[in-house]
Amino acid sequence: MTDRVRAGLRTSCERGRWVPERALVRQWRELDDGAAPAHYSAGRDPPAREPDLRPLCILAFVVVFGVLAVPVAPAQEGAANARGKELYDKWCAECHGETGAGDGAAATHMLPRPRDFTRAVFQIRTTASGELATDDDLRRIIDEGMPGTAMPGWRGRLNAADRDAVIAYLKTFSTFFEGATPQPITLGRAPRGTAEGIAEGRAVFEKLECFKCHGELGRGDGQSAPTLTDDWDQPIHAADLSESWNFNGGSTVQQIYTRLRTGLDGTPMPSFSDAIDANVITDEQLWRVARYVRSLSPEEPPRPRDVIRAAVVARLPAGPEDSAWAMVEPAYVPLVGQIVVKPRWFGPAVTAVWVQALHDGQTLALRLTWHDRSSSPDPAWDEWLGRMRDAMSDGDAPVAAEQGPDRLHVQFPVRWSDDVERPYFLGGSARRPVSLWRWSSDGDMLQEGTSTGLGRFTPAAAGNATHSARYDRGEWALQVSRPLVPADSAAAIPFMPGRAIPIAFFAADGSNGEDDVRGAVSAWYAVYLDVPAPPRVYVAPVVAVLVSAGLGLLVVREAQKQAGRLNRREG
Amino acid sequence: MSRRLREMLAHPFWQAALILLAAYLVMAAIGWASAPVPKSVVVQYMLSALAGVLIYVSDNEGRWRRFKEPIHRTMVEPDRRRLRGGLLVLVPVFVGWVTYQQVRPKVSAPAALRSVHPASPVQITFRGKRMDLATLENPLRQSGDLQQHYAAGRRIYYQNCLPCHGDLLDGRGHYAQGFNPTPLPFDGSTIAQLRESFVFWRIAKGGPGLPKEGTPWNSAMPVWEDFLTEDEIWQVIIFLYEQTGLQPRRLGAGEGERHD
Repeated sequence: MTDRVRAGLRTSCERGRWVPERALVRQWRELDDGAAPAHYSAGRDPPAREPDLRPLCILAFVVVFGVLAVPVAPAQEGAANARGKELYDKWCAECHGETGAGDGAAATHMLPRPRDFTRAVFQIRTTASGELATDDDLRRIIDEGMPGTAMPGWRGRLNAADRDAVIAYLKTFSTFFEGATPQPITLGRAPRGTAEGIAEGRAVFEKLECFKCHGELGRGDGQSAPTLTDDWDQPIHAADLSESWNFNGGSTVQQIYTRLRTGLDGTPMPSFSDAIDANVITDEQLWRVARYVRSLSPEEPPRPRDVIRAAVVARLPAGPEDSAWAMVEPAYVPLVGQIVVKPRWFGPAVTAVWVQALHDGQTLALRLTWHDRSSSPDPAWDEWLGRMRDAMSDGDAPVAAEQGPDRLHVQFPVRWSDDVERPYFLGGSARRPVSLWRWSSDGDMLQEGTSTGLGRFTPAAAGNATHSARYDRGEWALQVSRPLVPADSAAAIPFMPGRAIPIAFFAADGSNGEDDVRGAVSAWYAVYLDVPAPPRVYVAPVVAVLVSAGLGLLVVREAQKQAGRLNRREG
Repeated sequence: MSRRLREMLAHPFWQAALILLAAYLVMAAIGWASAPVPKSVVVQYMLSALAGVLIYVSDNEGRWRRFKEPIHRTMVEPDRRRLRGGLLVLVPVFVGWVTYQQVRPKVSAPAALRSVHPASPVQITFRGKRMDLATLENPLRQSGDLQQHYAAGRRIYYQNCLPCHGDLLDGRGHYAQGFNPTPLPFDGSTIAQLRESFVFWRIAKGGPGLPKEGTPWNSAMPVWEDFLTEDEIWQVIIFLYEQTGLQPRRLGAGEGERHD
């Protein structure tokens, strides 16, 4: 119990002058336009109050400890809400821990870790930074879950009364909730959005130095990104702002604005309410930042489709940056941690690869883009790798001590006829190997060969493919081109227009401790090479139009003739 | 209701148009309320509706003449030249568009037929130990404390199965969308139709242990024999049934056949 009290007290002391995060405070100090008042860097309160706080904390410690040391407290907690405890133990405890400390059996396989309720620090709130969450805030998370994490919405599983009982019970894990009535901050209405508004949002984004963590293009690759930890000393990624479907607190402009106002407590993400109070920015400008952030992601979350289409073009793009690629719609292929064979990997850094394809009747060109916060190995990420080692080594083997390269593998069956049997999606098997393109950032190499399982690769004697890769601000773009008919068709699959060929992907981020087994994998998809449209595709509709128009005219003409005859006869 | 509208409703031409519209809306409503109706069914149904309408309007000579009248006027009368011209353009364009939709090249994924619960083998070998699936029962139901088995199974589930099968046991964990086929949900009627020995086989041998009709090359289900002991698998099976409140299918009296 003393540990809990101490942990809670530490939070409360910090809460008196809640410091957003070391790194960010430094950034505020560096603000060179002088708009931020001097006291801002110290947190929310003016410096005058700072010295008074420590004795107060000690006093609080003595009082709180004295009260809690009396053995009555836990008995009250348990008896008051038997239903809440029963449900919590059944559905929540295995992640959030029986004592609410976020240390359940599943916790070590999760990053971010499950919420620790004993410290009563909550990311997604409508209250000011450093305040508790309201019951409605907690309810929203339980009802809807947290996108981008393992937390699901519970509406379908627990009824409203049961969810309320769970909320009441989880609040008993921290004494901070006793007698507290946290109040939401008042949020203004969103100003009307305009194109200039988004441009201004971007300017304010830069003024507030959001890019220091989130990166210039918002891909979570900022200079400070590798240094970030949460309040529990776990490594935490700066959010990739171009994947709004993974935003923990939701993806609407209103939700993003609320996060900007309240901060994400327990993480390095600060509140910008103070920046408004200090006249560094206006409320309207913060709305524009929210709108700008939202504009970095597609309107609708992308949906994976089974087939990636390769259209026919006269000339293939020369490299991944060729403007011809802008005309080709990228297909979204979600990737998830490789948790099928040992060593499993529960902390993948790459969440998706976007695939574009074209062919010219001779050669197939694929353009693959994926977000990766670093071009590995990158010494700036050594510290991050160390933290990942500490946090995620509880799998089947410890995480590598040295950063490997970034990797992307593209996989096809070695042979593909119309029988439906395919090789094993996870790198093939001894009985049915796959043909593999293994790209690695180490020397920017592309190897071709066959694989009989993850990490079991045999290079081919000669390659057919050419490639070109570039890394730019948190994104890899790789173009691979290969003749439709390979020189040695025993070792590599021929691509035939008019056929859908199975294709699968694997990506690894070396600075995240990943290698050729620990990484992110996809299911089988298919790439379909368009056949040049046969003439009938254009002829048939034209004939149909002409015939139906001709028949129509004929019918009308006949009807008019007949009517004319009738008229004459009557006349 | 205005006089004009009443006149229109009494006119066979507009009645026919309204009946056809209503018939189409019924189909659309069915498609919206339950599963989408296949196009060929819609076409057939609309053709039947059209035949019915034609029989109705032509059944009586007076009605037939009145029905034809607006069509005839549109084709003949000088003051309807604009409407006539418009129809003569729009209808052929529509026909052309439909034709294009028919002949344009279409892309389809390679065929992938999959049996969700394929037949299990008669016998499996689990870490060198032979097991006869037809008679295999969960030994932990006869020994030890069920609550303890449940608690152990729960821990194993959360450490291993959660990312795919999910907190809610609905097969929609945070990794689920990355795999195809998506992970099996346990909260419907899936595991209630299965014997525990079948579930044991599926867990122990995973995706690669499926017969061909189960598309073993697609399944992301690990071979848990490599990760878990026999008792641990039985414990997690107890957890699945306890947590969902479902009962496994058991061999009843006179039921000697294996359930697939």
